[in-house]
Amino acid sequence: MKRRTFVAATTSLIVAPWINRASAQQPVTINVMAYTGLFQDRYTAAVVEPFMRANPGIRVNYSPLPNSAAMIGQLRAQRAAPQVDVVILDVTVAKVGTDEGIFSRLDATAIPEINELYPNARFPNVGGVAVTFDNLVMIYNTDAVKPPPTSLLDMATAAMRGRVAIPGLPDIQGMSLVMILDKLNGGPGVEGRFAKGIEAMAPIAPNVQTWEPRPDVYAPIINGQAAIGIGWNARAQVNADTSNGKLAALIPKEGTVFQINVINQVQGAPQAQAAQRFISYALSAPAQKAFTESMFYAPTNAKAEIAPSAIDRTAVKFLDRVVPVDWIAVAGVRDQIMDQWRRRVIPLSR
Amino acid sequence: MSAAATAQGPDQSRRGTTFAATTLLVPILLINAIGFMLPVANLAVISVSEIRSSGAMTGGWSIAKWTTVATDPFYWELLANTVRTSLIVTILTLIVSYPIALCLHRMSGAWKSILLVLVISPLLLSSVVRTYGWIAILSDRGLVNSALAALGAQEPLRLMFNQNGVIIGLTEILMPYMILALLAGFGRLDPRVEEAAATLGAPPYRVFWRVVLPLSLPGVALGSLLTFVLAISSFITPKLLGGGRVFLLATEVYDQAIVTLDWPLAATLSIIVLVVFGLALAVYTRILRQIG
Repeated sequence: MKRRTFVAATTSLIVAPWINRASAQQPVTINVMAYTGLFQDRYTAAVVEPFMRANPGIRVNYSPLPNSAAMIGQLRAQRAAPQVDVVILDVTVAKVGTDEGIFSRLDATAIPEINELYPNARFPNVGGVAVTFDNLVMIYNTDAVKPPPTSLLDMATAAMRGRVAIPGLPDIQGMSLVMILDKLNGGPGVEGRFAKGIEAMAPIAPNVQTWEPRPDVYAPIINGQAAIGIGWNARAQVNADTSNGKLAALIPKEGTVFQINVINQVQGAPQAQAAQRFISYALSAPAQKAFTESMFYAPTNAKAEIAPSAIDRTAVKFLDRVVPVDWIAVAGVRDQIMDQWRRRVIPLSR
Repeated sequence: MSAAATAQGPDQSRRGTTFAATTLLVPILLINAIGFMLPVANLAVISVSEIRSSGAMTGGWSIAKWTTVATDPFYWELLANTVRTSLIVTILTLIVSYPIALCLHRMSGAWKSILLVLVISPLLLSSVVRTYGWIAILSDRGLVNSALAALGAQEPLRLMFNQNGVIIGLTEILMPYMILALLAGFGRLDPRVEEAAATLGAPPYRVFWRVVLPLSLPGVALGSLLTFVLAISSFITPKLLGGGRVFLLATEVYDQAIVTLDWPLAATLSIIVLVVFGLALAVYTRILRQIG
């Protein structure tokens, strides 16, 4: 008996280091689901790769999807056996995921970076927290629009007839435009179902070439098919750089609204601890700084010190022009706004 | 004894044949059940699921979406516009494809093969790519409007981002299907019958009207059914060429499922598309029966 114990102990002493080393070398893989295209390229370079370098034991598999609704669709299908650990998507869809129990509530004791976020990066009924702020901008072709526009109503001039590209409702870019116009015209907002904003679309709608610019709103403006429109700041800034200035973006004098992307942990995520570590890193000041300087999303971490050249291209210096929007409340009346859009705006552009 | 044995023989043989036939049907029945019946049943379940205004599914039941679709004039208009657009596309595709198919049917040798490959080759390209091709042709600064401008036109023709663009794009994209269906249906066309009609003094237009067209009707019916069904379920081309102004059932299903996250409404509209398919199939069967 003693001899057998001695042999077992000796064997385990000899073998254990190899077993431990093998398990230590086996990296944990987490699946992070977020937007495809430009976002994927820039986020991978600015956040995912530095995270993997800092955490050699964790591999990040980026699962790209075109939009937030497609992401929630996949997560609904995987509800019984989640394959995804972390998801970055729009705040309104994050609310849906939270209501359906797909996302768990992030805890500041496990992720202390949550305490460093701006107050408007946290939401009472959403499990995740904001990871990026974007904002609506006017975009235009610098060869076709001279002098540069200053107002949303520059899209309503005779010179712009058939040259305006607006991603219309249900896209939230069109919704943002209606909300800004509603505020400008003294509308009460959600309570008034943005009726004043819908009314204010009347002079712009006849000039609209397409309400469904494809592949996005930036390409037809860069190639001259359209001359002016609206888009999101981050992508507009990157497209301004890659088009050598053919496309330019500015915040119109009527104001802008924020679009918020939220980072969420999936309930029952296969690699919960590693997922939390990734979320922690994504919300940290260095990651926020790197991504803002790469793609011009405004940071959500108040401690992130962004280079002036990058922060000047976000809405941070124009906070006085930001029209406050409760996206969750807007989602509740979306059907009614959509109905008015179809009946009162689209017919004007036919 | 021998009489009983004789009576049992055909019975057993019939039972054996039935068993073999049933066994042979099992794979397709299984595929159909898993690939079609179950998803359709799932669609039906989703269509009566309750949803909050935010888009979250509550797990409860509701017929709210069916009520909305039945009472909101927008959805009736949507259905009418979808059927009308699909019928226009089907008729135009038939008119453009029929002469090509007839010509191909009457050709022989290498030219027939070459032209047939040319006709089918668009199917090798994604419809997204072909639709982008149409954007290059139909846009305000595209091929057509550039040519018109060179001829002195002041204003570009609005050929795209409206109903015209959708009809032009879908007609071209669905032509190969119509041509192939027509070619399959032209099998009954016997050149000797046409010769006989001509010998009896019928002029070419009468030969076509009284002989060729009636004999090719099964192909016309098949091609029309196929094109109609494909037109009604197309959403990429209407999305790209409609400019957000053309509302069809398929584009609405896409918007509700992928943009606004209203799955019950998307499922309800999908079931309506399925019902339209069923009606189209019933009309086709009836036409086939009438033309013998």
